[in-house]
Amino acid sequence: MADLVDSMLDLMRRLPPTRTEENVASLIGICPDYADDLLGSVDQPLQLKTDHATGRDYLACDYNRDGESYRSPWSNEYDPPLEDGTIPTPKLRKLEVAANDAFDTYREMYYEGGVSSVYLWDLDDGGFAGVVLLKKTMTPSSPTEPSGSWDSIHVFETAERGRQAHYKLTSTVMLQLTMKKGSEDKVEGTEDWKRDGEVTLGGSMTRQTEQDWPLHDSSSHITNTGKMIEEMEIKMRNLLQEVYFGKTRDIIYDLRSLDDLEKTRRQRELQKELVGFIKR
Amino acid sequence: MEPHERVQAACDFLLQSPPGEINDVLNDVRNIISDDNLLEEGVIPALKKYNLAQFITVEVPETNHQSIISEAARLEGEEQERWVDPRSKQSFAFDHITLEASDPQPFEPNEGSEPFRVALEKASLNYLLAHFHDGVTSVFASQAITNQFILQIVANKYNPTNFWSGRWRSEYIVDLNEHTVKGTMLVNVHYYEQGNVQLSTTHSISFSLPPAIVTASPESAGTKILALIESEEAKYQNSLNDTYHEMSEKTFKSLRRALPMTRSKLDWEKVLGYKLGAELSSSKGAFTPGS
Repeated sequence: MADLVDSMLDLMRRLPPTRTEENVASLIGICPDYADDLLGSVDQPLQLKTDHATGRDYLACDYNRDGESYRSPWSNEYDPPLEDGTIPTPKLRKLEVAANDAFDTYREMYYEGGVSSVYLWDLDDGGFAGVVLLKKTMTPSSPTEPSGSWDSIHVFETAERGRQAHYKLTSTVMLQLTMKKGSEDKVEGTEDWKRDGEVTLGGSMTRQTEQDWPLHDSSSHITNTGKMIEEMEIKMRNLLQEVYFGKTRDIIYDLRSLDDLEKTRRQRELQKELVGFIKR
Repeated sequence: MEPHERVQAACDFLLQSPPGEINDVLNDVRNIISDDNLLEEGVIPALKKYNLAQFITVEVPETNHQSIISEAARLEGEEQERWVDPRSKQSFAFDHITLEASDPQPFEPNEGSEPFRVALEKASLNYLLAHFHDGVTSVFASQAITNQFILQIVANKYNPTNFWSGRWRSEYIVDLNEHTVKGTMLVNVHYYEQGNVQLSTTHSISFSLPPAIVTASPESAGTKILALIESEEAKYQNSLNDTYHEMSEKTFKSLRRALPMTRSKLDWEKVLGYKLGAELSSSKGAFTPGS
């Protein structure tokens, strides 16, 4: 029932992004049969895991999950271990290893920290698909400084057409920012003013693109998706900046004006009167 | 999930509704639970809780103004729940689903507190005109504590065609026994064009009233209290600007750079590296799965 899934997705688009995980869990509780549909289409914050074999951190999401286990891109092992966990074919795994190395460099250049993971899987129609994940979290050095996190999820599908490849990319960036503020000032001895507050600005934005790129050898898939994802992230970073720090701020001013609206109204009236006076 | 758990989940969803989107959330929930009989009774307490907490406004019968439905507006000691609009001196029944008032009756205010309440209301209405686009204010005399007044303001902007909505709520408890004002300001913004971005802010303030205000006439005290509120809300709005600036300049920039330190995009051929590239191309030709 596509209709039901649509309602679930519409609901998730409206409820607070800070509570996505508990709300998804609740929806799965109501409609257990749709768990896979929901987990496959609602982006949730990426989980940080440590690969026991290599000691490196990796990111867990629905794409590297098999049952209750998650596969590490570094060792190709599932945690908790799985006997027959789905793994890419040796050839695809080779590409996956190279992609992880390349996007690790990308991560260092743009994020200067954080964690990246790339997962690839074969498609039934002969092509393959993949996901590039990036996450960085900032913990403030003092309680009054903002904290934040950035999660990128880039899902792509590719189909080879001779010396060309067609790519379909869906990118979601989840950005979460929080700041606590408090102050206490003594005014003229007796009046104590106490202020306390918190600002949370969070959510996600999704964009899609489809492009064709030349294919020289299999490594072209990495340079091609690399360029597409880099371009997409630059675009989305601008978009997030505009929406988070421009749009939401403008809406506050649409609710409350710092300037005295009555004064402006009176000035406008006066101007009108003056214009009428001059015309006479 | 047991039926009562499903209703509980539905109520939790409703209480999280962004400004002006409760009907959309309710429609989704109805479709998901697909048991209207179960929902109909079960969600009314949640709708009521939402309306009270969100300062939902109602067209007051036989007037051309709106008033706020909140805990402070609930008329005490009535068998059937009724709500007060002190401004028109009426009480009425309120339907939490249709958001409509009915059965208006005259309401007799407390004689002792009414002059101060009226003064505060007048000042608050002026303040509303000066700083809020489409705002509503209600000023109540506390039914439990003499000389305590509750001033509430709500401003909503719903713009579904452009995928955004916003709500500003403020509440001030003016206590003439303790000579204090305790206030809360809450802002919620939802932006949902190809995404879901929400701003949620809470801010509380408390201060004591200077003696000059306490001893002044109701008229002058009302104006002065609103002047303090005006300056405090302006300070808050300005401090939000600072928060925006700090989040954007500090946190956002250090989460992800606009461009790498080199100030140019990556050279992906170089990133892939000679060794890696050579290794991969040794498998000859383009990648073909299953081969």
